[in-house]
Amino acid sequence: MGNRYLEIFCREAEEHLASLQSGLLVLEKNPARTDLLHELLRNAHTLKGSARMVGLADISAITHTMEEQLKGMERGERTVDAQAIDLLLRGADAVALITSALMRGTAPELDVERFVAEYERGELGQHISAEPKEAQAEAHADTVRADVKTLDHLVNLVGELIINKKRLEAKLERLKEIGYALPDQHAATLGAFRGELEEDVLYLDYLIQELHGKAMGLRMLPLRTISDGLERLVRDLAQQLGREVQFQIVGQAIEMDRVLLEGLKPILIHLLTNALSHGIEAPDARAAAGKPRRGTVLLSARHQGNSVLVEVRDDGRGMDPAGIKAAAVARGVLDPREADVLSDEEALYLTFRPGFSTAEIVTDVSGRGVGMDVVKKNIERVKGSVTLSSEPGRYTQVTLQLPLTLSVLDALIVACGGETFAIPTNYLQEIVKVRAGEIDTLGSGEVIKVRGATTPLYSLPGMLGLPERREAGDATLSAVVLKHCDQRIACIVEAHLGYSEVVVKGLGKQFRNVRFLFGATILGDGNPALILNVPDLFESGRGVQRAPLSAEEVQAAQRRLKVLVVDDSITTRTMEQSILVSQGYRVVTAVSGEDALEKSAQEQFDLVISDVEMPGINGFELTRALRASEQYRETPVIIVSSLSRDEDKRQALQAGAQAYIVKGAFDQGLLLETVQMLIG
Amino acid sequence: MGDDNSYDIRTILTQMREEYWQALAEEESEAKETLECLVFTLGGKRYAFETHYASEVIRIPKLVRVPAVQSLIRGIFNLRGEITAAIDIRPMLGLPQPEIGPTGRILVVRGDNFATGILVEAAHGVQALCFDDFEPVAAGCGIKAQFLRGHFTVEEGSVILLDMEALLADPELVAGEA
Repeated sequence: MGNRYLEIFCREAEEHLASLQSGLLVLEKNPARTDLLHELLRNAHTLKGSARMVGLADISAITHTMEEQLKGMERGERTVDAQAIDLLLRGADAVALITSALMRGTAPELDVERFVAEYERGELGQHISAEPKEAQAEAHADTVRADVKTLDHLVNLVGELIINKKRLEAKLERLKEIGYALPDQHAATLGAFRGELEEDVLYLDYLIQELHGKAMGLRMLPLRTISDGLERLVRDLAQQLGREVQFQIVGQAIEMDRVLLEGLKPILIHLLTNALSHGIEAPDARAAAGKPRRGTVLLSARHQGNSVLVEVRDDGRGMDPAGIKAAAVARGVLDPREADVLSDEEALYLTFRPGFSTAEIVTDVSGRGVGMDVVKKNIERVKGSVTLSSEPGRYTQVTLQLPLTLSVLDALIVACGGETFAIPTNYLQEIVKVRAGEIDTLGSGEVIKVRGATTPLYSLPGMLGLPERREAGDATLSAVVLKHCDQRIACIVEAHLGYSEVVVKGLGKQFRNVRFLFGATILGDGNPALILNVPDLFESGRGVQRAPLSAEEVQAAQRRLKVLVVDDSITTRTMEQSILVSQGYRVVTAVSGEDALEKSAQEQFDLVISDVEMPGINGFELTRALRASEQYRETPVIIVSSLSRDEDKRQALQAGAQAYIVKGAFDQGLLLETVQMLIG
Repeated sequence: MGDDNSYDIRTILTQMREEYWQALAEEESEAKETLECLVFTLGGKRYAFETHYASEVIRIPKLVRVPAVQSLIRGIFNLRGEITAAIDIRPMLGLPQPEIGPTGRILVVRGDNFATGILVEAAHGVQALCFDDFEPVAAGCGIKAQFLRGHFTVEEGSVILLDMEALLADPELVAGEA
């Protein structure tokens, strides 16, 4: 029985704490608004009373102190300043900590007794880490609580309904064909029947769309549900960093899929932390630069077509392209020659590269949390894109473009390597026809002109490691032009099969972050089709030195080159195998050093790629054994290992290996480059 | 007439009761000795696992290949709206991989984390295998024995019992990075 009341109390407390928090923050901005005090008092008072009712003495003591302080402010005996507000907010935080611990049934992460004692004396409880408490969606009298799982299930069922409707539509098409084959008088009857059926399906379609809209609407929450906590975050950070900041939020009512909002929150926290720690200057520095002492951080959200634009903009020091380039070169992220040809706009995007950070001093603030590369990854994961714009000394603006929902998206269906894939249309620029004569070579890759712009050309099956069916001669090829972060690539596909609204399904727990894949859908014929994760294609395009298109010629030359891949991990084996096979090498795999020795005795390989740590003899011993044999004295050996110490590399070279690739930095391009360097 | 009838019923009832008790007794003694298993063919040999792992046996639908994953994941298929993987576990058991023909089936099994479809060359249905005929796998049989618990010797030959717990928990089944 106690539990039930506790739960009710905790829910109630949540509401009061949320309004206490937002009220206090408004009060801090406008200390003159003493009219707010009354409402705040009411919140504190109710909380105190309820806490007493359920016998929570600590909460009642804390809220009592809060009440007394608020009363003092109302009577004008206490000044309304940042310090006083801070004290009240700490109190609210402590209550939130205690209630959330109660809900979980665990002990609060707070020395309650000590806090209560200190708090009564009016001291700040510095030892509590204030977890910004976010407000719940306002509870209205005419709403019901629904289980999120039930909502998700409902949306799934509507998805199934859409798939089923698609099947009905496909059947209607077949009925039309059947009608053509019939003698006229029957065809007329069938035609009339088909017409009626078509109308029914059309009406069903309308109903399903309506239902889908409503079902999705149930999962939508306003941005406000996450932005309340952000205000608190900015305020605390500004205090900590000694910045004066005005934080504005525009478009709090914009609604987004709950799942998306959950993903968005950590990203916003990171961007705001960046804006305060790297963007907004110290007040004196701002004044010296002729800017207002108080900086402005703006978080805004608005609809644009079928997506939501979320912008974080600060009027701080901006991003300096030259500085970013220099830092990238210094960190080895960028080649100096590459840096010269990079435009200022492109330079900004260097901050997205893994391992990049321009923070000169690693502070408590900028040194923790995720980097920009993680921001980009997370945005891509929810099918969004991110753009940067900045003017040094003036502003920095990060714009996130997010879909309204993740459960249904518009896609182009393409045939590739004998399979069907869906490409989300938000990455699609256009579909082009390419003749072999229009393909140029640039560096090691191939390019075509799309609307005058030179665009890298790849073969989609080649990128995905699927079998290619390419006809020789000047046949016309179909290519899809994809865009991502101001970049364009063209991918050759076998055919495009039209646009379709697809229901996104997860691949289940057997598949974690699988490269190239965003999810799957089920087509009208009941078969699954994979949905491509386009950013991965761009990454793969950068990694592959050689465009798979020209692989044909290479293939002819390499037809007889055989590689032995030795690794006890099936994942590594398979990865290496598919990379090499896609480039036309013949590959045999071995699961251990012993296995490799046995296989290498049976046939002659041109190259051996081996892991180091394996059960039985290790990679070094294998290399030594190979070197000792007549057959393999000259055969190149590449060691691929997760051991990155110089000592290991030395040992590999001593054993007679030609190259050493560290698995952590392992990418397709590097492996292929090394292989090509050694055996061509 | 009525008397005759009631007499008849009483006999029948007694008979039924006896049969019931007898059946119960049989069931009890059998439950100690047999294991309900789904029996199937892999690499030309008979294998089995306990029926409670299997949720269904289906004909092989169209499998859609997944790029850039380990070769044992042969593809995905639509299991009533759920995307499910079809896996070829024969390499894990060190078995040859003869082509899976028209007798091929998918055994849908449920592990702790996910459901997956095991491709088999043929499925032979559920059999109660007797523990008296069971011989556990000898220790030190190497990697290949990692997923085996032992074998039953039955009339048709040998049936190897898989360790589904170990098999389904094996990280090699999972694709992608954590």
